[in-house]
Amino acid sequence: MEENKEQEIQKEVSAEETPQAEKGETTDSQSENSQQPEEPKMPEITYQTLAILMKNLPNGKVKKEYEAEFDVATLKTEKGNSIASAEFEGLQAVGLDYFPEEKKIKGIPTAAGDHKITIRYKLGDWTDGKPVLLYTFTLIINPDPRVLWNNTPTPETIEYYKPDSDKAFVQAGDKNMAAASQRGRSHAHEGNSRDDDFALHFDTKTDWYALVVADGAGSAKFSREGARIACQTAKEICEAQLSKDGIAEVLDLAIAEYHKDDSDKNRIELYQSLHSEVLAKAAWSAFENIVKEAQAKVEPVKQKEYATTLILSIAKKFEFGWFVGAWWVGDGGIGIYQKENNQVEILGEPDGGEFAGQTRFLTMGEEIFKDRQRTYFKIVKDFTALVLMTDGITDPKFETDANLKRIEKWNALWEDLNGANEDGVKVDFTDDNAQAADQLLRWLDFWSKGNHDDRTIAILY
Amino acid sequence: MRGEPIEAIRVGLETLVASLRQDPFALENAWLSVITFNRTPQPILPLTELETLQIPAIPQPEAAGTHLGEALEFVCKKVDAEVTLSSPERKGDWMPLLFVMCNGKVSDTQLFSQTVPLLKRKHFGKIVACLVGHHPVTENVRQFTDNILSMDTADSSTIKTFFEWVSTSVSVGNRSIGATDELVLPPPPAEMNAII
Repeated sequence: MEENKEQEIQKEVSAEETPQAEKGETTDSQSENSQQPEEPKMPEITYQTLAILMKNLPNGKVKKEYEAEFDVATLKTEKGNSIASAEFEGLQAVGLDYFPEEKKIKGIPTAAGDHKITIRYKLGDWTDGKPVLLYTFTLIINPDPRVLWNNTPTPETIEYYKPDSDKAFVQAGDKNMAAASQRGRSHAHEGNSRDDDFALHFDTKTDWYALVVADGAGSAKFSREGARIACQTAKEICEAQLSKDGIAEVLDLAIAEYHKDDSDKNRIELYQSLHSEVLAKAAWSAFENIVKEAQAKVEPVKQKEYATTLILSIAKKFEFGWFVGAWWVGDGGIGIYQKENNQVEILGEPDGGEFAGQTRFLTMGEEIFKDRQRTYFKIVKDFTALVLMTDGITDPKFETDANLKRIEKWNALWEDLNGANEDGVKVDFTDDNAQAADQLLRWLDFWSKGNHDDRTIAILY
Repeated sequence: MRGEPIEAIRVGLETLVASLRQDPFALENAWLSVITFNRTPQPILPLTELETLQIPAIPQPEAAGTHLGEALEFVCKKVDAEVTLSSPERKGDWMPLLFVMCNGKVSDTQLFSQTVPLLKRKHFGKIVACLVGHHPVTENVRQFTDNILSMDTADSSTIKTFFEWVSTSVSVGNRSIGATDELVLPPPPAEMNAII
């Protein structure tokens, strides 16, 4: 039935067109003889829609070279007709073209969107007067995600406001410290606050370094403050404990004894002093301060609204080498990178879940202090860098927990920091470079597909 | 559901995908799978990343019946096969979100009762049921979710609003799972009723 109808339409069209064409011819012949020529009329073209059986073209991406196999010669209409010739309408407008010799549609897409592309085509048996057929399909060009990100400043009026980025440089003793923290694109896109935080401290009296980074949970309302309290408290408690007479000497002695003889007895003594008097004490105080803050609110909230991870590290140079201790809950990472002997020491284990984004938090309280060992320490002769990172950096740079232990990944990170990246951003780790923190902050802007969390890094080098 | 509403859903899905493409986070992270069901579930779109995804035509149902149990069982199998969990050597996926659109009736009650506990163990970030039609039956879907929306008519504009809402839910969902295990969805569109 339908085919008949189609033929009827075609007949109708040709019935209309043929006389016109004939008229055209007569007009032409008349014009040669007649003195008053009629103006020549452009032959009218009629169009009909008829679907073509074809696979959808693959989606493209703005500014990214596009190439798809396409051969008009092998196309068939839904009625099985072959196609003699075809033109595309709408392809060039998006930066693409059809290349019949190569049997390809290619180019570099210029505009994102669901573009309507029309093929105007003629059937194999087309003659003058027959309708030109049309078929419209959709070609999807994805936007370049880089241009979709907004950068909306965090309103300064929000509770617990903190700047969208932060940095610090501490020139001290044998090594320097630099840290930087940058709000992630996913937060910047919606004008939400940075949830990460950090703290650095060098005690000129005791020569102890302290570095802390924390990552507030994206889903917790006041995690930005949780991370800040965690960093500040941990730093202050370490500082206070390490300058207490009874503790500093005991710890120094335990470290020296352990270096002389790494017996179980010496290890346990060192561990206990480090854990109970300094690291776990600092972490527990951080937890307590968060709980206090949550309860002190006019309308008290649960401490999980302040959910944050915490990586805390202290380091000191002795005659025999460097002692580094750490306490860690959550994701991210901490490692002592030794470029010279191609080694890395990871000071703990990241807490991960079954799904992306799942981890454990300081604010889980008691269970975090009971579930497993979280205090680690190591004595090394020397090192290139002690690096603490939140998952905004470990996710793109290490991807998996297993990779965090691989020296190749650390070598790559170090080269990356030293300028081996697509933006050519270099952090100059020479001794008296006061710009190191600014450079580090700039480095944090690196692009990594799908990784747009807050990023914080603290380095002792 | 037959005829026009089916086409409205296809258009709605296109709206969903087009709007997710405007969200830079979703564009790089979201994957989508579409399964239709009547007497049997039929995957019309396998799990596909947003960048390469194209919404196919949705076939008109040939058989009557609402075998929701079978459909959910199918979803469970797909989750097992397609969702990557974290391991030391592999980064896990985000928790999946499940949106179920149906009339709320269940023809395969026995399988449905068996499947609900399985479904609940699959760790979805959120399950949302969207019931279509006047006087929707809520007691079945309530067994697996508290997030129930309903639309009186499956006209194209209401369906479009629903999918726009799904799009914002996905945008919120794929970045906020963590400490507060509850994922908070945006308020449902005014055209739809939230069933409490």
